[in-house]
Amino acid sequence: MSSLLGNIFKGWSDYTKGNEEGGHHDYEHMYAMVIDLDMCTGCNACSTACYAENNLATVGEEYFGARQAMHWMRIERYFDEPNVGEAEADTQSRGASFLPMMCQHCNAAPCEPVCPVAATYHTPDGLNAQIYNRCIGSRYCANNCPFRVRYFNFYDHQETAWPAPMEQQLNPDISVRSKGVMEKCTFCIQRTRAARNTAKNEGRAIRDGEIQTACQQTCPTSAILFGDLLDETSAVHQAWKRHQVQLGKYAQNKTNPELRGYRIFEELNVDTKVLYLERVREV
Amino acid sequence: MSDRKHLTREQTKDIDENIAWASINTDVLRSMENPRRGYWVAMAVSVCLFSVMIYAEVYQYMYGMGAALLNTSHMWDLYISTFVFWIGMSHSGTLLSAILHLVHADWRKPIYRFAEAMTTFSLMTAGIFPVIHLGRVWNFYWVMPYMTDRGIWPNFRSPLIWDAFAITTYLTSSVLFLYIGMIPDLAICRDNAKGWRKPLYTWLSLGWRGDDRQWRNFRFTYLMIACFLIPLAVSVHSIVSMDFAMSIMPGWHVTTFPPYFVAGALYSGCAAIITLFILLRYFFKFEHYMTFPILDKVCKLTFVIAMVWTYLNLVEFASVWYGHDIPSKEVLIAKATGPYSPFFWGMMTFGSVLPFSLLSKWVRRNMYVLFFASIFLNVGMWLERWMIVTPTLSLGYHPQAFNVMWPGWTEWAMVGGSFGWFGMLFLIFVKVFPCVSMYEVKEMVFHRKRTIYEDVDEMMTLHSGVPGPKAQAQTQTSGGA
Amino acid sequence: MAGSSKKIVAKTRRVLGLFGDFDQAFEVIAGIRRYQVPGLTVDDVTLKSPIEHPEIEDVLGERPTDIPKFAFWGGLFGLVFGFLFLAGAQANFLVQPQGGKPVITIPSNVVLAYEMMILFGVLSTLAGFIIGGRLMRKSSGLYDTAITVDQIGIVIEVTDKQYQPLTELFKKHNVIEMHEEALS
Repeated sequence: MSSLLGNIFKGWSDYTKGNEEGGHHDYEHMYAMVIDLDMCTGCNACSTACYAENNLATVGEEYFGARQAMHWMRIERYFDEPNVGEAEADTQSRGASFLPMMCQHCNAAPCEPVCPVAATYHTPDGLNAQIYNRCIGSRYCANNCPFRVRYFNFYDHQETAWPAPMEQQLNPDISVRSKGVMEKCTFCIQRTRAARNTAKNEGRAIRDGEIQTACQQTCPTSAILFGDLLDETSAVHQAWKRHQVQLGKYAQNKTNPELRGYRIFEELNVDTKVLYLERVREV
Repeated sequence: MSDRKHLTREQTKDIDENIAWASINTDVLRSMENPRRGYWVAMAVSVCLFSVMIYAEVYQYMYGMGAALLNTSHMWDLYISTFVFWIGMSHSGTLLSAILHLVHADWRKPIYRFAEAMTTFSLMTAGIFPVIHLGRVWNFYWVMPYMTDRGIWPNFRSPLIWDAFAITTYLTSSVLFLYIGMIPDLAICRDNAKGWRKPLYTWLSLGWRGDDRQWRNFRFTYLMIACFLIPLAVSVHSIVSMDFAMSIMPGWHVTTFPPYFVAGALYSGCAAIITLFILLRYFFKFEHYMTFPILDKVCKLTFVIAMVWTYLNLVEFASVWYGHDIPSKEVLIAKATGPYSPFFWGMMTFGSVLPFSLLSKWVRRNMYVLFFASIFLNVGMWLERWMIVTPTLSLGYHPQAFNVMWPGWTEWAMVGGSFGWFGMLFLIFVKVFPCVSMYEVKEMVFHRKRTIYEDVDEMMTLHSGVPGPKAQAQTQTSGGA
Repeated sequence: MAGSSKKIVAKTRRVLGLFGDFDQAFEVIAGIRRYQVPGLTVDDVTLKSPIEHPEIEDVLGERPTDIPKFAFWGGLFGLVFGFLFLAGAQANFLVQPQGGKPVITIPSNVVLAYEMMILFGVLSTLAGFIIGGRLMRKSSGLYDTAITVDQIGIVIEVTDKQYQPLTELFKKHNVIEMHEEALS
């Protein structure tokens, strides 16, 4: 009983302290990403790497057509409005603009408060985590995600996606999800955990660049950067600073409007942690 | 007999005050016996529909949610819209029994019992949907706040948890309200029951003997629970609306949703009362109790609530239209012109235009027309819920995820099965429990014929040809004893 | 009751009289108020009726009920307990790091505590009803099914001496039927 009341007051004082200090004070890391769209060629290597790394099931043509696929990292194609008399929208001479889209790991994630069983929550790493074992599949999180990057296991795919002996290629560091569970990009949390353990064993801090996400590792043009925003020497932190994008704001105050950095749906105030660098195109 | 008049469309009194108390008992008790063929047909249809639902649920349990044709953008669709629909239906009983009880509206007395039963059963139906729509339905109890050695709790910030609390509370309270209001009637059943019914009613009537002490406590209990139920009913449907309003999606994140949902709930509930009113009146020959003047009042109430609903609807549209929230506005335009537009306009027609027919006395007195009108009012309300859930999901914020989906077979099976389940419960109810409140109809009759002057009594006898209340009390006593 | 030193007069039997309408029953009660049966007061009368007469309190006098208290304390308990339970659960949900966000969320807890207030209020009212209405307990055998139809019953415990005047009072006001049982 005393611990119950004690924890109430401790929770309260933690909250007021966080409020006074601007909130979000007990993060150990703040993993974030930078994606340079100017370097993205739309080759889908990141998506493929994600499938391999994270045990994503290939659902087959029928379910893909029904939009029941689960590609944590997807390359979205956007086309300019075709001019009258020009080629079809899909075969424009200028080609598409590509947008690699994955979970944005919002700091004010709309998916988190709505989960009835707290299966999705914010880790001290600043990541938006999904606990598969706890998920009961109410799918509220996916409905509340403005990016639509949460994927639901509409079926069990183990048998069809990895027929024997294909199951041998599954990544042992991460579970294979069964039907009825929500899943999404984790920023390759298994790699983060491995790097953390190595660093701990060697008695040092995690070095910048030590953790590579699968998409980052595979990207042929190195369009993706991943690292700790709280580490001021990290490349990600430098890039965010260079492009004058700050966390916790829904409108950035840039001294140089030419800077390419932007976050998607910043105006929704969900505080995403993926910084996109705009593609440069001739007008 | 002169009291044939009240069966006709010219009747102006809510109830004929010359009904003998003993005949109230016999009429209502008769309705609980000997189910006829129509009853078994209705029961068979309900059971069939419900079996389809069970089949669909077993399929979903075995193979996953995919057959519902839900997709990455459309995660809820008919499951949640039908859930909201049934929650809405459940609000009528509370309105009729609690609010009208507090304002001493006498005319609720013959019809509130089945309305309350409807409340309870639609809640039981509604409660199925949040469970069956879960991806891992076998873990549904994880939303309950119970202690575990792992120290894991549900997330109390989630509107779905609020739903779970609100629905549990509402179901408990409305079952108790229905039950407590029925105790004096269960005592009547006990006194007349034979066979398996005898121990059932004896147990359920809790030893009710009609003591003045029991009546006094009963009156206060009923009043207190009515007072609890009114804010509860409002809170339940506003919490259901918060499933949407607390999200950030365009078309859902609307401030007026709570009152809008409450109005819609009362609306569909009233329409369902009209439907069941007509069915019960027709099949159980309750012409003496479920009279045209009462039906008239329910229709007028429905019309007023329909107008409140229409108003709130238009307010919502206007605030989106004149606001500067582009995604919301796109959702609104897509509702009216997009692939779902036939259903949107169907909802507007059935929900906002059709209720004007209730202004016509001819419609209100024509049971066939009124029956179908009330059915279509509820079709409109079901479409409303669908049009809240699905167009928003088909658009949302992210253009890549824009898509149109149509419900799969499991969804339709669940929707149809929910009506079967509701019908099943209701059919069992009308044969096991009195669906007209006997003691309150007696009160109603008593209030209306009570005179404290002997000479008035004589004059009444002289003019109507029917023995006056006092004289009649004399005769009905000898009949009842 | 026999041997009870508190009672000056030992009651020996319980009488139930059935009447055709409220007026006759009320006349009997008025008779008792006029002391037509020596030693009996209106507080000894139990009225059994198919409905509750709207002016019952004018006839029988005010008799207290505890239901509102049950409702109030039940509701208050639900509100306080609900809030503390939720706050305690959230504060002890240590497995889940909140990343600096509020642990105890007041707005959601207010909503939930409100529901708990109503739930416990209703349950407590029901308990009050069962206790106050003396339901769910063995009651005296004096009962007639006509009471749930249309007759009004008056139950009184009387001594041998009072029995005769009471029967006369009953008969004067057209009693339809009389039942009696001996008290042990």
